[in-house]
This record gives sequence, structure tokens and C-alpha cells, in this order.
Amino acid sequence: MTEAAYAELFCFSNFTFLTGASHPHELAEQAAELGYAALAITDACSVAGIPRAWAALKDSPVKLITGSWFELEDAPPGASVPRFILLARTRRGYGQLCQLITTGRRRAEKGQYQLYFRDVETHALDDCLCLWLPPTLTEADADQALACGEWLQRLFGPRLWIAAARTLESGEEQQLARARWLADQLRCPITATGEVHMHSRERQPLQDVLTALRNHTNLEQAGHCLFQNGERYLRPMPVLQRLFPETWLRETRRIADQCTFQPGSLRYEYPPDLVPETETPAAYLKRLTREGERRRYPDGTPLTVQALIRKELDLISAMKYEHYFLTIHDIVAFARSRGILCQGRGSAANSAVCYCLGITEVNPARVELLFERFISKDRNEPPDIDVDFEHERREEVIQYIYRRYSRERAALAATVIRYRPRSAIRDVGKALGFDPAQVEQLLEGIDWRDKATGWRQQVLDKRLTRNPKVADQFFTLVNTLLGFPRHLSQHVGGFVISSGPLAELVPVENAAMADRTVIQWDKDDLESLGLMKVDVLALGMLSAIRKALELISDQKGHPFQMQDIPQEDRATYDMLQKGDSIGVFQVESRAQINMLPRLKPATYYDLVIEVAIVRPGPIQGDMVHPYLRRKHGLEPVDYPNDAIRKVLERTLGVPIFQEQVIKLAMVAAGFSAGEADQLRRAMAAWKSHGDLTPFREKLITGMLERGHDADFAERLYQQICGFGGYGFPESHSASFALLVYVSAWIKCHYPAAFYCALLNSQPMGFYSPSQLVQDARRHGVTALPTDVNHSQWDHTLEGPERKLRLGLRLIQGLSAKGADRLCQQRPLEGYRSTSELRQRAGLNQRDMELLAGANAMPDFTANRHQAYWQLLGHEQPAELFAAEAAETYNPGTCEQLPEPTEGQNVLADYASQGLTLQRHPLALLRDQGHLKFCLNAEQLQQTEPGRPVQVAGLVTGRQRPGSASGVTFVTLEDETGNVNVVVWLETARRQRKPLLTARLLHVKGILEREGDIVHVMAGKLSDLSHLIKTLPVSSRNFH
Amino acid sequence: MLWLYLHFPHLLLDHIRRTREEAGALVIVEGSGQKVIQACPEARDQGVQAGMRLKTALSLVPELGTVRADQQQEARILEDQARWLYRYAAHIVLVPPDGLMAEIGSLQRLYGGLPAVWQTVEQALNERQLTAWPGLGHTPLAARLIARTGKGECTDDKGHIQRTLDQMPLLAAEFDARTCTRLQRLGLNTLGEVFALPAAELARRLSPETLARVQKIQGTRPDPQAPWQPPHHFRQQADFVQEIEQSQGLLFPLQRILSELEEDLCWRQQETDSLLLILRHRHEEPTRIRIRTSGPEHRADAFLNLVRLRFEQQPLRAPVVSLQLSVKRFLGREADTGQDLLGESQDLNEAWHTLMSRLQARLGDQALQQLSPQADHRPERAWSSSGVQRKNRPASTSADQLPRRPLWLLQGPQPLTEAPITWFAGPERISGGWWDGQRVHRDYYIAQLSSGQLAWVFRDIREGWFVHGWFG
Repeated sequence: MTEAAYAELFCFSNFTFLTGASHPHELAEQAAELGYAALAITDACSVAGIPRAWAALKDSPVKLITGSWFELEDAPPGASVPRFILLARTRRGYGQLCQLITTGRRRAEKGQYQLYFRDVETHALDDCLCLWLPPTLTEADADQALACGEWLQRLFGPRLWIAAARTLESGEEQQLARARWLADQLRCPITATGEVHMHSRERQPLQDVLTALRNHTNLEQAGHCLFQNGERYLRPMPVLQRLFPETWLRETRRIADQCTFQPGSLRYEYPPDLVPETETPAAYLKRLTREGERRRYPDGTPLTVQALIRKELDLISAMKYEHYFLTIHDIVAFARSRGILCQGRGSAANSAVCYCLGITEVNPARVELLFERFISKDRNEPPDIDVDFEHERREEVIQYIYRRYSRERAALAATVIRYRPRSAIRDVGKALGFDPAQVEQLLEGIDWRDKATGWRQQVLDKRLTRNPKVADQFFTLVNTLLGFPRHLSQHVGGFVISSGPLAELVPVENAAMADRTVIQWDKDDLESLGLMKVDVLALGMLSAIRKALELISDQKGHPFQMQDIPQEDRATYDMLQKGDSIGVFQVESRAQINMLPRLKPATYYDLVIEVAIVRPGPIQGDMVHPYLRRKHGLEPVDYPNDAIRKVLERTLGVPIFQEQVIKLAMVAAGFSAGEADQLRRAMAAWKSHGDLTPFREKLITGMLERGHDADFAERLYQQICGFGGYGFPESHSASFALLVYVSAWIKCHYPAAFYCALLNSQPMGFYSPSQLVQDARRHGVTALPTDVNHSQWDHTLEGPERKLRLGLRLIQGLSAKGADRLCQQRPLEGYRSTSELRQRAGLNQRDMELLAGANAMPDFTANRHQAYWQLLGHEQPAELFAAEAAETYNPGTCEQLPEPTEGQNVLADYASQGLTLQRHPLALLRDQGHLKFCLNAEQLQQTEPGRPVQVAGLVTGRQRPGSASGVTFVTLEDETGNVNVVVWLETARRQRKPLLTARLLHVKGILEREGDIVHVMAGKLSDLSHLIKTLPVSSRNFH
Repeated sequence: MLWLYLHFPHLLLDHIRRTREEAGALVIVEGSGQKVIQACPEARDQGVQAGMRLKTALSLVPELGTVRADQQQEARILEDQARWLYRYAAHIVLVPPDGLMAEIGSLQRLYGGLPAVWQTVEQALNERQLTAWPGLGHTPLAARLIARTGKGECTDDKGHIQRTLDQMPLLAAEFDARTCTRLQRLGLNTLGEVFALPAAELARRLSPETLARVQKIQGTRPDPQAPWQPPHHFRQQADFVQEIEQSQGLLFPLQRILSELEEDLCWRQQETDSLLLILRHRHEEPTRIRIRTSGPEHRADAFLNLVRLRFEQQPLRAPVVSLQLSVKRFLGREADTGQDLLGESQDLNEAWHTLMSRLQARLGDQALQQLSPQADHRPERAWSSSGVQRKNRPASTSADQLPRRPLWLLQGPQPLTEAPITWFAGPERISGGWWDGQRVHRDYYIAQLSSGQLAWVFRDIREGWFVHGWFG
């Protein structure tokens, strides 16, 4: 017998969830190590593990066979329930396999499958091989087993084998005897299999843990659910030769030789629908680009842009990517035709061709972007364009894609949900029988951000168990389980569209959401197989911008569009430089508000940097301060050499963007293009399981060799780590910066329209409606309360003064249908009584009560208490007397009811709508003399730095950003604005209770000032939440 | 009528705290372990509140002790209190999960006035180390509401009680959520303001039930309460937050339970000669210890001595998480003679039980054992013997699915001293048990020895050969 005479044909990876105990790549590497001829990955009704195994075996002599394991729901008459493995012989057989999997998965709930014997009979499977796993003696008697074998033989004929395994478990001899008998009866060959559940025997404990979890029990109770031993691993050749007859081993090789399909041969076929029959894709794309050019540059295209377009079209042709651009153009054109705002991202998106096609608004004349980097001739990789759509209308776009290409040809990519430290600790703890409450307690005590001690050490310190052996096992198990897939979920918006039935390319299954289907591969899998996806994402700000533009058009009396907004407007930049950016896209967070006055953006490109700089990458790389110093001329701008100058010139010699960092690795540390690409991938995967340390050595020595100093090299490495998982490239920044400018311009010049549109697009952004309305009023917008005789569902602008009338949507719990009828049935002169309102609008008691609670009937009720009294005890009058009853019904008032106080009104407003237009609660408390020594936000602005101060406010935000070690930022709101409080770790530790639980917080501290930015460094914190009760009413529903 | 209501704000917590010696912040969490439902005063001082997520509570007090809520346990503890209160008052009402009520109008004369009653109850509560908020009212509901706000005072002055009720916040008045929201939306904040509304309007605009409730509080509508009857047995339990490893540690909580037994027996005017002590462990079957006195007895000291002796003879099998003492057999002054074993017993079960008791009494508890299969791949763990129980648990595995095993499994593997003559079956590999430190990794064979015996032999990971059993 020659070497490598064995092919493993039965192997579960961890994509058979809670069963397989090894990653596909571990199995692949182990098979190669052991010198197997071939390895089949046969997950349960799935091929999700194939791309990863393929990536590991691409350049190895071990052949990868694609297959899948099935257990049917029913049995043919008189037979046992069939259990078998199908292996794809050819590309066609692979398509058949995928079809069968799709049938089984589409029929069942997410994560399950259901196949019946009729399915196997009716699906074409003539290019698949079948390995039958006969039932055990306790499962079926000989007759049933034979009937099952006969059924399979009728379907597969010479393509059927009986699979036999040596698990060395009790009853094995009888099982093997049965296999021999069946083989004899059916005249069907037996093949050896390993029934593999793990790549190495050392995984037995983990496999036991997974089995216990699958059976919802713990190891102690699992008993016979567990395997009797750990023999289901990839065995070394000598062991196999000892256990199996040679003929059985030879059979594995014969089967493997028949399977010629390789995942690498899958080629994406672009949908041909988009190109008119008379034209080639290239000519059609060229024509569309030309038309776009005339629209974008009515006065003639600048020469540089012309050259760029030519170059890009050549590149697209060379790579045959015309269909990709045409597909995106088609989707964007649909959105345009429905008035849905959209904007492309990614460097390919910001190309001149995309500008002409309308995929992006970023003018190539304004930003120099490296289009070539994303579509590279050297790497055979598809380009990547993300398109953002209005969040409320993205569904229309998705439905369009399903309509245009049908569900057979379009589906969402999957996202593999993996074990993270929390879930791994929870599940391993469960399997080991730890008390769940104790495990929760343990998890709570872990500071995940504390990189120095690491969670392992912390767990040890917590002494979950006194037994050090159990602790060791616990860590090993948790560590191994980390990164294991748990289930497939849907990608946020990545569509895969194919020319033929998608189910022949990759199985399709159901997502949790109704009417959504996902394929079994995620975006990394697609990338490794070279398949294309289109990202259709949702962005709230686009909704808000469209609504604001409509309000402005309304005011102007003619259409006003995004391109009508003047460029580089002085006033807009002045506003941003003051940090006045609440509601503005991307720069409204507290960190951004603090950055704006320091960076002082004055041009579009400054905004591109602003968007990218307040992120973990540049912060961890300590690149923020050098950039600011250079920008304000406090430090000279210099470059070690011209190559670096070329990379960093746009950002004054300081690397800010991900592209620059990768480029630097090449020019400053001597990375090859391939290595740089590996680095990029490692960065993307770093958050989940990637490892960047291998690159550190290479980066730092490479840079030192080329004469750069060690400190810069180390900072660059830190920055690379910071980009990990949050990579923010310039190409995305450029698209976002455009929306920053547009939203800022609207805020600056049409504040009423701006806030109204933002409020109508909730939920989105950083701020609550209450904060937005307060900010609007500070910007001179008059806000009017909700009123059944004036409000629409949405917030509206009234009259020439553009007063903001709050809409009925603000009333929590009010039914949209009821509100709709209220508006439609409203008489010209308005409603005159509660009964008229109830009758005409057909409102139910619940909606009526909510309207009363919102005090939305000021025209005919004295106050909310009386309004409410009138509604109670209402009996539906008979139809005949309805009109009459409305006239005569005298609801009367109740003298015993108290008049609402100001405090009661404020709290009732908060409870009903989450905001109040009356005085701020802090103003009331100040009036009552509760906050004697506290300064308000406005007064703080006039206070000297370094002074001890006292402040108080409603806690609207508590943040502990990952980039700021141990600091908690608390935002307090009072009647004049927001106060920023900084709490150091030590202070926070000593005063956990007020810090974590106070709704109304009092802070004694020191005022600090940097330019216009004011902070209070917290000393003593006190919880004043009880004061809210003195307002005087119970604090129910207050925040 | 005058009602005394006792509200136990954290009964389960008190119960647990009085059986452990060291203090420390402690909370009860709901079954799924997500939410705090009771917090001890110490935990509350540090900001933990009932209703808070455990996550938040732990971030406030990292070293917080947690105990899982157990409704049955809570009900049992409440019943214990009822039994005790029954000694003072005849009309007792149980208000689960945390309240007890007694009609005490008739008691005042017996004790010489209300203050004396009040003081007696407070003192008894103190001795029992329980926190209870008392409240007095002329209707059951009034007493309850006052008790639950923690504002109870020792007075039966109608005006005073009425004022307390009038000032009671609406949220404390226990209207259903919907009614409460409605009343609040009308701008009402206190119960007094609700009393002021016209009754007809209240029924029409809110609901007839709301009016009925208001009237029950005020006493203008009857609110009959079914009296509680004491059970016919004694049962008390102590639960431990931290496992107790030495039997010495059990004596402390046991002492308290035994003195309660003594009180109980005195009050019943009866004695007993048989106690059942059940010690529960985290993983293993409970240990059941039956203590018998030579004759009818009621003194705690006598019982404690017997228990102490028993503990000295019999060390703990495993750490104990809870301890339960129950007495079902009560004897009057003239004890019954036991039933004849072979006599006309009414109940076979009872006869079986009597037989077991007698055999155990003769031979000792340890001498009687019962076998049952256990789902475990390791042969030595595939069966278990435990104390005899009345009912057999249904076998978890059917017989034909069990692997082939010898009838005679040796106490422990014996080294194999000779090479077998014939090998029949094997190897069967058994590898498992890594999780409890009893890891096994063996290849089993069936082989015939020179003596002709059919042996079950194995080779373990260190290449040693052993006999583990004999086939018939």
C-alpha cells in the first residue's frame, strides 16, 4: 500500500454548530500534515465551512472534496430513516448538492433544515456520490436497514457506498457485521470513514462540552449523550492501516479520485440583464459615462478628469468589471428615480467614472484618490463599493433588487456570528456546571478594556473555582471555543447577485427576518472565492437631508437640491469651528465637538480629515497632536524622503488614513504589495481573531533599516493596531465629509428645516428629541406644542416665521392610524370637544388618553387632569344617537381634581413625549432654592479656569471610550445647555453609586478650559435624583 | 375588629442570614439570575435596590453575595412564621409571598392592652432575627397598606389611622397598574384625594372594582378573610450561602431549629421519638439521617445530643448546602404502640416503610442500599447505590441500549497476573470523565483466563493490565 492512500470522506467542522470541534482550516492543515490524499468537509446540510478549508488547501497536495451530511425527517416505507453523505463529483454535482441543501434550509426556520425522502427522489443528484451510514442495531432491525439501503441503491446505483467507521465503542463489532451483511446483500462496496468531529484527539473535552450544550445539559448530567471516547479525530496513517481492511481504505481513494470539483473553479457570472443586446458591456458603460459627463460638466470636462476617466475605463475593461459598475449604476438609478437619496463609498466609488454615473457626489477634481489601489491588476479581486441609502427607504431598494433579479438570483451575504469571550465563558461555565449567577458575577467583574491584566488573569483573581485543575481546563476550553462559529446571521446589506440560479452557486437559507434569505458564506468567504457583492446600506442622515431639502424647497417655492448648495461656504465653516455641531453628520459626538475648535476646519478636505481623525487608529498612534501642531504652524512639516512625501503630503506628514498606513508599510518598511495586502486583511480581522504581532517585527526592523527612528515605527504599529476592526479609509471619509458639509450648511442657514427634518428621521444620531428641540430653541427656532387642532403626524414648519410645530409622532404609544384619521377628519375650524374628537376621528380610548396625557387639546379642555376626567367612563352611544350625543354630552368638570402645578406639567410632558416646552426641570429646582451654589452651563463659559465649581444637571450621557484609559465622560443637561464632566478612574471607583445610578447629578470639581471648550474635572459626586420627586409628583417614567 | 399585619420585606434574606455567621452584602436574584428581587440593608446602603439588574448591582458591589430565589422555599418560611404567630392569635391569615395577618382585637384583654401585644410580637420577631414591619388597621387592607409603607404605629385610634391612610402616596396604595396610572393622570397623589372623589363617579369613570377596593380599605364593604390552619407536621429548613464542610458547622443552625421544635411540641402538647434530618449536597444525592430517641421526647437539648453523637460516628459525605429537619410522628402522653409488621396494614406502602424503618433501626442506615443505573460511560460510575427511597426513579436508559457489561464488577480493578488464553472481544475504548478529575482512558477486552473464568480486562493509558469484572 502506497503513501497517501487514504481520503477522509466524513468530517464535521465547527460549522456543524455545537457538534464539530475544529475549524475547517485546522482539519485541512491536519489532513495535510498526516499525508491524506483528500479531505471532504461534510457539515450537516451545509457547505459553510468549505471556503475556509479551501483557503487552507489551495496550495496543498491534499484535495478538498465538497460534501454534506444529511438526516431525513421521514423514512421510505418499511425502511429506517436514511442518514447519508453526498459528495460533489463535478461542478454540476456541486450545483445539485447546493440545490438540495437550499430546499432543506428554505423550508425550515433559521438554522434548521427539513428534508424528506421525496426530496431526495425528486432532486437531480446524478452527479453526486452517496455514502450511506447504516442505522445502528438499536435504531432499526435488519429488514428496515436493508430496505433503506435498497432505496438508496435505486437512486444512486453504482454511486452508492456503505460507510463504516471504527469508533472502538461498545457494540462496534455488531455494527461492522451489519455493514458487511448489508454490503453483501446489496452488492455494494464498503468504504472506510473516520466519522470525524475534530482534527485531533485533544479536542475531546471541547467536543464533550459542545455535545452537552447541544443537549441543553452539563457534563455531569450528559451521560450517554457524550461519545464513549475521543476516537472521532483525523487518525495517523499507521493507525488507519491497523484498524481497517486495505480494501476499505483503497475505496476511499477511488471515491476521492472521482471527485474533481474544486471550489476555486467557481466563477462568478454577472447578470447579463443590464446591457442592451446590441451593445458590449464596455461600450455601454462608456456610453453611460459619457452621458454623465455632459451632465456633470456642462461646460466641458476638464482635461485631467478626461484623462482619469480614460484610464479608469481601461482598467475596468482589462479586469472585466463593467458589469459590477453597471449593476451599481442600475441600483442607484432606481433610487434616483424614486427620489431616494444615496451616496457611494469606497475608493472605487470615488472614481471619476462613478462621479459621472451618479454613484457619488465626490468630485474627482476635489480629492485625489487612489482608485487603482482597490482595483488592482495584480490581485484578482473584485472591487468594493458600498452605497448608503436613506434609512427609512432602503427596504424599497432591497425589494427592487429582489424584483429585478428574482429571489432565485439575489440573496444577502451571511455574517458568521462567533463566540466572543463573554459567550464562551458563559457556555463553558454552563457545561462545567458552574452556577449561572456566579458566572454572571464573574463576567461583570471583568474589565474587558484592561488589556494589561487581560481577562484570564482577572478570572483567576476572582477564584471562580478553588480547584486549579478545573480552572486550567476552563481556560483551555474557553480559549479554544473563542472564534468558533455559533450561527449564521444576515450581513447588514451585502447582496450577491448571479446570472443563473444562485442556489447552484451557494446554498441559500432563511434569515431570522421574514422574507430575507442569506447565502451560507460571509464576505470573507466571498472574497476568498473571488465572488462579487454589492453593499446596500442604510444611513439615517440621508433621510434627514432629503426631508430638509424638501422643507427648503417648500419655503423657496422651487425645487432645491443637494447640488444647489453653494460650496465652501464661510459661515458654515465658522459655525463648525465653534463646535456648534449638534445634529450634524459624523461630527456631533462629544469628542468631535471638542475636536472641531482645535482642528478649525476651513475647507472640504479639512472635513475629510476631521471625520477620520477622532478614531482609535490615529488616537492610539498618537498622530492627533502632531497633526494639529503642524496644521497651526507650531511645528515644521518635513518628510524623510520623496516616497514618503508622496504618501503623506495631503496630511502634513502625519499618517491619518488607513490607506496611508498601508502605503507607508510599503515605502518606509519595505513591505511587498502582497505583504501589504496581508497586513490589510489582518487589520480587518483583528477584532475577532486576527493577530498583528507577526507584522510588528517586520515593520519595525524594516523601518529602522531604512533610517526611520524607532519611536515613529512603534507609533505606526500602534496606529495599525488601532485601525484593527475600525479601519477608516480616506475613500469613505471623503464621501462622509460631503454629507458633513451638506448637513452643516443646512443647520447654519435653515435651522428650522434642519431640526424639523432630523426630528422626523428619528431614531438616528447621538441626541434625543429633547436635546434636539433644546438646541433648536437655542438657535432661535420657535417650538410649538403638540395640538390636536394644529399638529400633523410629522413635525411641521408653520407660517412665514417657520415655527416648529411638534408632531403627534412624539406622543409615545399613540397609534399611527389613529393619528392619521385625526388629521384627515379634522374640521376646518378644528375640533371643539373631546366627544367630537372621539367621534369624527374614531379614536379608541387608549389614543384618547394618550392625547389627554400629552395635553394636546388646549382648545377645549382646561388642563390635562380635567381632559382626562372627561375621557374616563365614556360609554359608546348607540350609532343612531351618535351625532346628537356629541352635541349634548356635557362632560362637566370635577371640582375635586387639583390644578396641575408647573412641576407636574413638566414631568407629565416628559412621560408623554420625552421632552417639555415649559421650563427645564433644573430651572424649577433652582427656583425652589435647591441648587444654591451651582453654576449653569452658560455661567461656566464665563468662569476662569482652575476655579473650584459646582454644577448639577440631568445625566444625558455616560461614556467610557476605549481610547481614553479609564476616564468616564458624563454629560449633564441644564436649562442653558450641556456641561461636560470628566471623571478619572480613581474618582469613579470611589463613587460608583452616584456615578452609575444618578439621574440628577451634582458635581463638585475644578473648571478646566482649552480654548472654547470647558470641562469640569470631577471631585465629589452626589446623587440628587430624589429632588425630582419634589417637583412634586412621583418620578415614574422620568427618563 | 383590629388587624395586625406583619410585612416581611426580605424574608428569604433574613432566613439565610440568620443561619450564617459572617455578614456581608447579600441579595436574592430571580431564577434566571438577571434581576435582584431582594436586597439586605447592607446591600441597599451601597446602592443596590430590588428590581435592579444584577449586572448593575455587581458593578456597585463587586463582592455581593447572591442567592437564587425559590418560591417554594419562601412559602415554607412564611408558613413557619404563621405557625409561630398561631400561638398568640387564633385568626391568622397568610398573605403570600411576604405577609401575615392576625385579628388581635380579642387579644388586648388577654395581654393587658395593645402596647403589650405589640411589644410581645416585636420581641418575638427580634428573637427570631426577622425583619417585619407591623401595621394596625380596622380593616385587613388598611393594616396591610400601613404595614407595607413601614409607617405602622402602635395605636388603634381611628382618626390617626385615617390620617395615615389619607396621606399615603397613591403608588403605595396597591391599585392595579392601569388604575394607578389613571389616577395619577388625574393629578391625584394621595389616597386621601381618591377618597374625596364622589363614589358614583369613581365607579363609573374608573371601575366598580376600584370603588370596591376603596370601600374595603375604609371598611364600608366587607372583606372576609379565610383563617389559616396549622399543618400536622413540623418542618424547618436552613439554607447556606456557603457550603458547610464540617458537621460541627451544622450544629449552630440546628440548635435554632431544634428549639423551635421544642416550642412547637410544647404548643401541640405532644412529643416525638423520630426526627428526619435531610442534608442536601450540591451534586450528590441527599444524605438522610433518621434520629430516634429511646422514648417520647420534646427537649431540644436531648435531640441535639443525639444528633451530635450521630455526627461523630458518621462524617459528612460531601459539603452541605441546606439542612432540613422534619417530624411527622407526634405522640401524646401515652404513646401508641406501633403497628404489627405482618398485621392487617391498611397500606402496603406504609408497611414497606415500616419494614425499612425497622431494618434500618436494627442494622443501621448504612446497611441498607438500593442500586440504580447511572448514565456514565465509566463502568465504575455506571451504577450507583443510595439510601433506600420509597419510590424508584424511572430508569433514564432502556436496558437494550446499555453496553455489554459483566454482572460482577469488582470493587476496584485488580492487576492481571497472567496472560489470558483466549481473547473474545475488544478493544472497546472508554475515554472520558476529564471534567471531574476521575479521568479514564482504557481499552477493554473480554478474555478467558487459564482458570476458565471469563474476565473483563483492560489496558490503561500507562500500559498496565487489569481485571475489572467477571462474566458468569
